[in-house]
Amino acid sequence: MGRLFAVEIVYRGIFQKNLARNISRAIVLAAHHEGKPGISFGRYGDSPERNGIPAKSFAIVATDDVTLEEGMAKYEPKEVDITIVVDDTLCKGVESWAWYGLQPINRLTKPGGTLIVTSHENSETLISMAHRKETPYQLAIVKGTPSFSGLWVYKDDHSDVRILGTMAKVLPELFSLASVQQVIRAEWNDELKATSALRAYERATTVTVQPTQGNPEKPFEFQMPKWTEMREGIAIPAIPRGHQMKDPNTGEMGGYQPERNPTFKKFTTRTMRPVVDFDTCIKCTLCWLQCPDSVFDVTPDGLYDANMEACCGCGVCEAVCPVSNCITMVNETQFADNDSQWRMWKEDKEGYKGWLKEKIANRPERSHGFRFRGQYAEQVPDMLKIAREG
Amino acid sequence: MAVSDRELAELVQLRPTQTLDAFKGVKKLPLEEFFTSGHRTCQGCESSLVMKMMVKAAGPRTIVLGSTGCMYVANTTYYSTSWVVPWMHTQLGSSGSAGLGTAAGLKALMRKGKIKDEPINVIAFCGDGGGADMGLSAISATLTHPDYNVLILMYDNESYANTDIQLSGSTPYGANTTFSPPGKLKRIMHHRWKKNMAGMMAAGHPTCRYVATVCMSFPVYSMNAVRKALSIGGPTFIHSLDPCPKGWDYDPMLSHELGELAVTTGIWPLYEVEEGVFRLVGKTRDIADGRLKRLPVRDYLLKQGRFAHFTEDDIAYFQSKVDETWEKWLVPGVIPFKKQIEEDRPPA
Amino acid sequence: MTEALATPPQKQLAADKTSLITGSEAIAVACKLADVDVITAYPIRPYDTVMQYVAKLVSNGELDCEYIVAESEHSQFEIVKHASAVGARVFCGSSGVGWMYAFEALTVTPALRIPMVAMVGNRALDDPGAFGVEHNDALAVRDLGWQLVWVDSAQEALDTALIAYRVAEDRRIFLPCAISCDGAFLTHSQALVKVPSQEKVKAFLPRYDRGDLLLHPDNPITVAPQVNEDWLMEIRRQTAAAMDRSPAVIREAYADFERIFGRSYGNPFFEEYQTEDADVVLVGMGTLSNPVRVAIRQMRQEGKKVGFVRVRWFRPFAAEELAATLGRFKAVGVIDRDFSLGSPYRSGVLATEVRAAMYPAPNRPPIVGFICGLGGREVTVPAVREMTESVYLAAEGTTQPGTKWIGLRE
Repeated sequence: MGRLFAVEIVYRGIFQKNLARNISRAIVLAAHHEGKPGISFGRYGDSPERNGIPAKSFAIVATDDVTLEEGMAKYEPKEVDITIVVDDTLCKGVESWAWYGLQPINRLTKPGGTLIVTSHENSETLISMAHRKETPYQLAIVKGTPSFSGLWVYKDDHSDVRILGTMAKVLPELFSLASVQQVIRAEWNDELKATSALRAYERATTVTVQPTQGNPEKPFEFQMPKWTEMREGIAIPAIPRGHQMKDPNTGEMGGYQPERNPTFKKFTTRTMRPVVDFDTCIKCTLCWLQCPDSVFDVTPDGLYDANMEACCGCGVCEAVCPVSNCITMVNETQFADNDSQWRMWKEDKEGYKGWLKEKIANRPERSHGFRFRGQYAEQVPDMLKIAREG
Repeated sequence: MAVSDRELAELVQLRPTQTLDAFKGVKKLPLEEFFTSGHRTCQGCESSLVMKMMVKAAGPRTIVLGSTGCMYVANTTYYSTSWVVPWMHTQLGSSGSAGLGTAAGLKALMRKGKIKDEPINVIAFCGDGGGADMGLSAISATLTHPDYNVLILMYDNESYANTDIQLSGSTPYGANTTFSPPGKLKRIMHHRWKKNMAGMMAAGHPTCRYVATVCMSFPVYSMNAVRKALSIGGPTFIHSLDPCPKGWDYDPMLSHELGELAVTTGIWPLYEVEEGVFRLVGKTRDIADGRLKRLPVRDYLLKQGRFAHFTEDDIAYFQSKVDETWEKWLVPGVIPFKKQIEEDRPPA
Repeated sequence: MTEALATPPQKQLAADKTSLITGSEAIAVACKLADVDVITAYPIRPYDTVMQYVAKLVSNGELDCEYIVAESEHSQFEIVKHASAVGARVFCGSSGVGWMYAFEALTVTPALRIPMVAMVGNRALDDPGAFGVEHNDALAVRDLGWQLVWVDSAQEALDTALIAYRVAEDRRIFLPCAISCDGAFLTHSQALVKVPSQEKVKAFLPRYDRGDLLLHPDNPITVAPQVNEDWLMEIRRQTAAAMDRSPAVIREAYADFERIFGRSYGNPFFEEYQTEDADVVLVGMGTLSNPVRVAIRQMRQEGKKVGFVRVRWFRPFAAEELAATLGRFKAVGVIDRDFSLGSPYRSGVLATEVRAAMYPAPNRPPIVGFICGLGGREVTVPAVREMTESVYLAAEGTTQPGTKWIGLRE
């Protein structure tokens, strides 16, 4: 029995589908270069993918065909040598399309395995976002803006090859830098990409994450019933009707809060969250009305409080809000909880102002894909500069 | 001899409908949601917004039938639902049959005193694949049945979006889909023009008492169209154009803007046909009456990755086809019959 | 569990009326007696005779239902499927390729637990187009959760339709049921039929109560969401469990039927004819029973102890019982009015099922398969005698049991 290598790529559905496929394919091709057989596949249960909803693809490589078959005998690997996270906000955990409950990002990472994350954040921030793991693991950061583009137009900002270069450093047994570069030249015929892989290789470092570090909360789970416990006729109860909300200060009842799907919350789809300036809100209703996910709870005082358990961060509310800076989309990495902004505001309006100011101030630009023709041409150079200079 | 209204009433025994008055502006909308959070659609999914507004307009005494498509697969994944009102799946081509069967079942049971006699809204929805392609004959048949109160709503995201964006009869000219990828030899793989579903339903089904085109970027009008359809009763049809961030390839935050652009560029005319009376509405009417200048289609096309392969010629051709619907069609954007006089004028 | 059981009638119920009607008309009459709420029609020979009669009943005000002429068989079955989901008692039907055109709708109905009752006027599948009987249409759904029953007389058609509603709508079952009537022989020939009184039917057939599966604003549920690999096996198992409960409910229904209508069908699952002392038997379904009985009477006069087993319920299939019965004989001949190309021993569907049923039996006589009467070709008395000869040879072990085509020009 030879050695089996398993790599998972956790990515944002559709936005990073092509990116994940590029990485996954290149892994298998690079290993193949060194005589190792392998396969590359996406989690069937995640398809058909939806924009932003976490998805996975895998690359399984082995030193020989018999060992590879051992790896292929499973629907998906039970543990992986490397977990590639192409968007840092996924570190908070993933509630995938076909799953129930929230899965820690490092769930499949082997003891001593490596988490490779594309991010501008430092290791402390990323470690605090990820759930705690009983065994130590390594964290490697590929500095950069997570690469988002759509189904048809690919943003070639070298995120793919920089991750491959990093892999060659953290797991040289899988494939060497030389093999990766040969695959890059064969697949993309782009010397600049080969160089980006080299730079990433040279720069790659890892830190060890201890069991004492990370988010201590226990992610919510879902127990599946037995066939005798399920209602017949493929019938399930509807969501109950909603109810009024209570004002934390006056205790007054009013407004409206819908009941929500308890088994799929969708918030791990979010890469940005809306922060609301309740002082400038003119109660025009548009954010509430235009939200495809019924995220906004209507408060007794007629304001609209974006419920962070339900929000998937599409940004439509910011787009339709007629008041400038009343709703602002802020990078999800800036938040540690899903608490109600309205309650925070009700309890301490001045404090909330400060909090809001700080959140909006260090708001990094995140692109959710195609906005106009030529946009990527504007964005790619910045990423290539980082690829070059680190 | 003409049949009197009384005789007709005896011939066609329509059940009473709910009286759903028009919503008076965004500030007067009911707060309650009957399609809520936790569905598995894309960020910025306009079709799920259609679902939300459709049932907000219809209210609690409503049964919804959903044919296969995004709004089936993504909204309800077993043991998990976002529906507050009763909802049932139906087959891809069955929205017409599902609506008809549900309405007929309720009617029979109420008429025969087997269940409480009350008006219950029946709405069957389908995507463009299920409606404009596979389900066309069943929808057409249902729209010819005068005796049942059923609204068929087609949410049109212009592709088989659920199965990963294959072209449908409703996909616009030239769009990139997994079945029509631009290639080295053929830049334009899809050269069919979009089906004119609402126009077809209105023109071909005199029994159908209400047809409307809507877009959720115009929420109050769209919700009132649903309320009007349900109140008028009999078979009715609504066609909604829904920007699709996944298939059209754009930043989800642009969903609302693209819906507006579809209308202001004249690509998606908003109109209703009520008891046979045709009416252009909203910004479409403003364009027709010259109060609003029609925007160039490039403003719309260049914001979408599915048209990223378009050359200037392609954009110009697209523009010319849209112009034609406005300048040459018998009814702007609706009936593709050319005006005789213009066409027959001999060359100078 | 017992709410489905009808209470015995207190007073003497009105007597039956006799009328001369076809098997199709008999089923239409059953729909009237069962007070069916929604019926959908679409034309195809030969089953459409039932809908022509339904249409007359409706236009004459004898049957009060929503009668909808659909634009295709697919819609025909989808419409009643959804009417049933909101609690309406429904009836539908088709023949041959029409049944196949509705196949998607037929496929989804059992898992939704829709107690639809349908008539199949058995007809050969195109191409080439042919109006005559073959059983392949109805048999095509045999794996999907449909209860399938074959009848051989107009009387049995009427009675079985009432029983079908009773069984299908039993909360323990909630599975669709298709009644197969051989094209022409049953659908187009008239016979004297005892039509029971409305009172008797009321006493026998409780109203359809969909309970917690009712689609209605007062019972808000979501029905049939998309599932993934985490769920489908459990859902299939539930449907299988319902089918497993079906035999007991069928027995109950036939027992009650006999008590209330005073007509007995003996063993509900298959009918035995002169099997008590038989050396060999023939097995078949549908109207071929008629020439078979005549031939058996002739052969018995010549001292040949031949019997016949007519299978009524094909789904659920009474395997143990049938195996025990057939094990008594020296050899068995199975007559298929269908084909299953490339199947084990090139047999028809019924022969394949009978062989499978016999395998665990302690006593396994040789089994010969016969394909005959396809496309409505007459199954003649000499043909039955010819088949019986082969069965005797098999009993003596002088021929290899296999499959023979009978009545073929060679």
